[in-house]
Amino acid sequence: MSVRYGLLALLDEAPSHGYQLKTAFERRTGGNWALNIGQVYTTIQRLERDGLVESLDGDPAADDERRAYRITQAGRSQLAAWFDNPVVPEAPARDELTIKVLLAVAAGDIDVSVLLQRQRRASIEQLQAYTRRKAKADPKRDMAFLILLDALIFRTEAEIRWLDACDARIRSVSKEAAR
Amino acid sequence: MTVLVQLDGAARRFGSGHTEVTALHPTSLTVEASELLAVMGPSGSGKTTLLSLVGGLDRPTEGRVVVAGQDVGSLKARDLAILRRRTVGYVFQDLNLLAGLTARENVAIPLELDGRPIGEARAAADAALDSVGLANLADRFPDDLSGGEQQRVAIARALVGGRQILLADEPTGALDSITGESVMRLLRAHCDGGGTAILVTHDAAHAAWADRVVFLRDGRMVDEARAASSPDLTTTAA
Repeated sequence: MSVRYGLLALLDEAPSHGYQLKTAFERRTGGNWALNIGQVYTTIQRLERDGLVESLDGDPAADDERRAYRITQAGRSQLAAWFDNPVVPEAPARDELTIKVLLAVAAGDIDVSVLLQRQRRASIEQLQAYTRRKAKADPKRDMAFLILLDALIFRTEAEIRWLDACDARIRSVSKEAAR
Repeated sequence: MTVLVQLDGAARRFGSGHTEVTALHPTSLTVEASELLAVMGPSGSGKTTLLSLVGGLDRPTEGRVVVAGQDVGSLKARDLAILRRRTVGYVFQDLNLLAGLTARENVAIPLELDGRPIGEARAAADAALDSVGLANLADRFPDDLSGGEQQRVAIARALVGGRQILLADEPTGALDSITGESVMRLLRAHCDGGGTAILVTHDAAHAAWADRVVFLRDGRMVDEARAASSPDLTTTAA
């Protein structure tokens, strides 16, 4: 989804070749979101099929690398609608960590607090890695990268807050039980 | 590496017999120059007790706490006060800036208390304010500064006169995330310049500025996280 609209937004600025789109997309997203060129071509083909972009080249037999594309009127209105509307959160995924914690709580013979701490340590180490990159980045020149890092950092932080809350909830119940 | 802070089986207990409460069980820990250490854990896990011992605000009931080469437990009250004034600086969530004094005067207080001439203390205060990016606001009163600026004044006061060890208890608690980040950058810069800081926080995003994060639980150190030397950062396109 994000790649589809990303390419549309770039084509809205100027017609481009697939490879130009790949490098421009990576630059806009902070230079750390590597796109596979094959993914760029399949996405463009779908956009073309849906009438949102069209080939500049008259020769439909020309290979992917030599074809340039431009956005169509339909593509422009779909892009505008995308920017104008909030992203609707998808139904929450059944993620592995949530399931692992729930099953550990139910199992009864697993030390949940040890499990939570192991996860907390792994998440903090991930945060430390992001933060080291952040510390080296230049607030003006690398703004796109910093915005991307903030997204990763705050999602990881949310996970840690959830781990803390699980821990506190389990402890408060076991304290009650001990009374 | 120079060890600036060392806890050697240090514990703090209150009361005795069956009313005894252990705020910190015997704990061993060293913090080196250039190291930023974060301490995390739920309320009541012993974080603030640990910080008070390192800062010489309290003494261990067993074990040793050595700060900049001095054994806190055996120092006379007078020498402990000197250690607090010359070597250790504190930053709290409550800044405790004096409203009737300018930023410069607030920052100069620790040096004036230490008996340094006023001119010298104020020059050092200006240097400390400059190091936190506030040289041009030295004549302002706290009420005329934003929350983030006030916290930077408090950091300048903690570091004034070249104190090496900075102790921070939830220093970013009342700040928004970008302002909090600028405070963390100052702590990081202090350590990268050869100092040491110990940060107590609930905020994982701020703790992640540290080289090492130790986790306390029920008065015991239960785990620690270390920054990888070559951070891997990969994102994949969704």
